[in-house]
Amino acid sequence: MTSLRELQQSFMKHLHGEASQHAEGSEHAEGSEIVQHIQSTPDATAQRRLDIYAIGYRLRLKEAITTDFECLHGYIGDDLFDQLMDSYINQYPSQHPSLRYFSQHLVELLSTQKPFVDYPEIIEIAKIEHAFNHSFDAADCTTLSTEDLSKIAAESWPTLEVKFHDSVQLLHCKHNSFAIWKAITDENNPPDLEPDNTTWLIWRKDLISRYRALDDAEMYALTRLAAGDNFSELCEGLLDYFEEEKTPSQAVYYLQTWLNEMMVCGFLLSSKKQYF
Amino acid sequence: MTRPFLGFGLGLRTEHYQTILDNKPDVDWFEILSENYMVPGGKPLDFLDKIRADYPMVMHGVSLSIGSTDPLDKTYLKQLRQLATRVEPYWISDHLCWTSVNQHNSHDLLPLPYNEATIEHVAERICQVQDYLGRQLLIENLSSYVTYNESEMSEWEFLNEIARRADCWVLLDINNIFVSAHNHHFEPIDYIKGIDIDRVMQFHLAGHSYNDSMIIDTHDHDVCDPVWDLYAKALQHFGAVSTMIERDDNIPEFNELHDELKTAEKIAIDTLPAKALTLSQPNMRESEGVA
Ligand SMILES: [Fe+2]
Repeated sequence: MTSLRELQQSFMKHLHGEASQHAEGSEHAEGSEIVQHIQSTPDATAQRRLDIYAIGYRLRLKEAITTDFECLHGYIGDDLFDQLMDSYINQYPSQHPSLRYFSQHLVELLSTQKPFVDYPEIIEIAKIEHAFNHSFDAADCTTLSTEDLSKIAAESWPTLEVKFHDSVQLLHCKHNSFAIWKAITDENNPPDLEPDNTTWLIWRKDLISRYRALDDAEMYALTRLAAGDNFSELCEGLLDYFEEEKTPSQAVYYLQTWLNEMMVCGFLLSSKKQYF
Repeated sequence: MTRPFLGFGLGLRTEHYQTILDNKPDVDWFEILSENYMVPGGKPLDFLDKIRADYPMVMHGVSLSIGSTDPLDKTYLKQLRQLATRVEPYWISDHLCWTSVNQHNSHDLLPLPYNEATIEHVAERICQVQDYLGRQLLIENLSSYVTYNESEMSEWEFLNEIARRADCWVLLDINNIFVSAHNHHFEPIDYIKGIDIDRVMQFHLAGHSYNDSMIIDTHDHDVCDPVWDLYAKALQHFGAVSTMIERDDNIPEFNELHDELKTAEKIAIDTLPAKALTLSQPNMRESEGVA
């Protein structure tokens, strides 16, 4: 008798459409091995019964991608989006117990495969939506406030390191993809594609995802601190952007801004090797 | 085994979070989909905690894949246990099915062949999960569309034998019995009579849709009259069993589902003596599950 494992493997092949030898996206895996193990009845053949599962499989995964990439769908339209979803489903079988994470490699497909790889704004829009999806349910932490700055002793400032909220992400766009994203999200006509050069900050505050553009100096400061630089290293780097006597106050100003935006989860005082 | 009676519950859905917090509707308990809350943080967990503060909950999973021939997913089990620590549910349920093989997830509840080898395999795995979680599981019957040639018994004989061997509870989905009875040409009452009375901890009710000759378990409609009739018969057979309505698609206003739940309650009141419908002690929440 066929083992349970063999049955499960050929059932899964049927869902993936692998046994069909048909073109990508075919829901009908005719001639698949599993069909020999399924009973036909006068009202429904084994093939028809199995197809209920194969159709349901694809629909469920498409629904998950559509939920996660609504704006991308709006931008590239039904046909291309459907083609994208079929390619994705065929190439990236779900390896996660939750559908929440099924679409997590979509940017990877877009960045490596034609025709998508030739349209940088498509990749950028997908990255924007991916970042918002991450910020939505990224790990919680108790954020610090500007009052916590007074707890830092003067001698601790140079070696101070900052731990950011897990939702904090930077996204560099070479096109006006954010404006396109915003227009589609607001159900307006998207602007024409234009070159742009902006780094966006995406994070979550009070359970709601936020975003804003960063200037070069703030982008630099945030990138360095997030990478583990300490306060004095940051001040030194900021010399490229500000006069020497202004850099410490400018760095503190950034810190206050991020604290008010609930982006900071902890300060690490190198001397004590611990966060508070 | 004594069966606690929680009363009448609804599935917790994102569409209703705010209404529930604002209006505190008189629902005895909520069932959550465990996987929806296996995330690091943010809104889902925030609402979960707030609503849990006001209502008892049970956890219902779809990805345990208890019938799979892959090893049990330790990461998943760990997350499930962590969530249970957070939620303190009355109980945890999943389905008598497999969802994944070779680490590929179908995100569907796929049926098993009903034979002795499968019973042994599944019962052993339920025991492992129960040991790990430190509590008894509830195992639910599916809607299904295929029968394997490898099956040697009815679905209810299969389910009942697994529940006995693993010493777990049964979550009996009345709609799934109706759907599978239609698709596989058996009498729904035979299913009900084939399950041990004191194994059944919870009922599910739901709607479905027709696709030519087959009924598909879509959870996108109201509960239909034949399923209400079957529910009354199930109450006659099993006595008072905690009941909830599943709605996963085409989700209506909260009040509409609440009215449907009142229909379930009315059927129970009309079918059973009042004494049978007394709720179990609310301090059950503090105890470690119901095992
Ligand atoms: Fe169910």
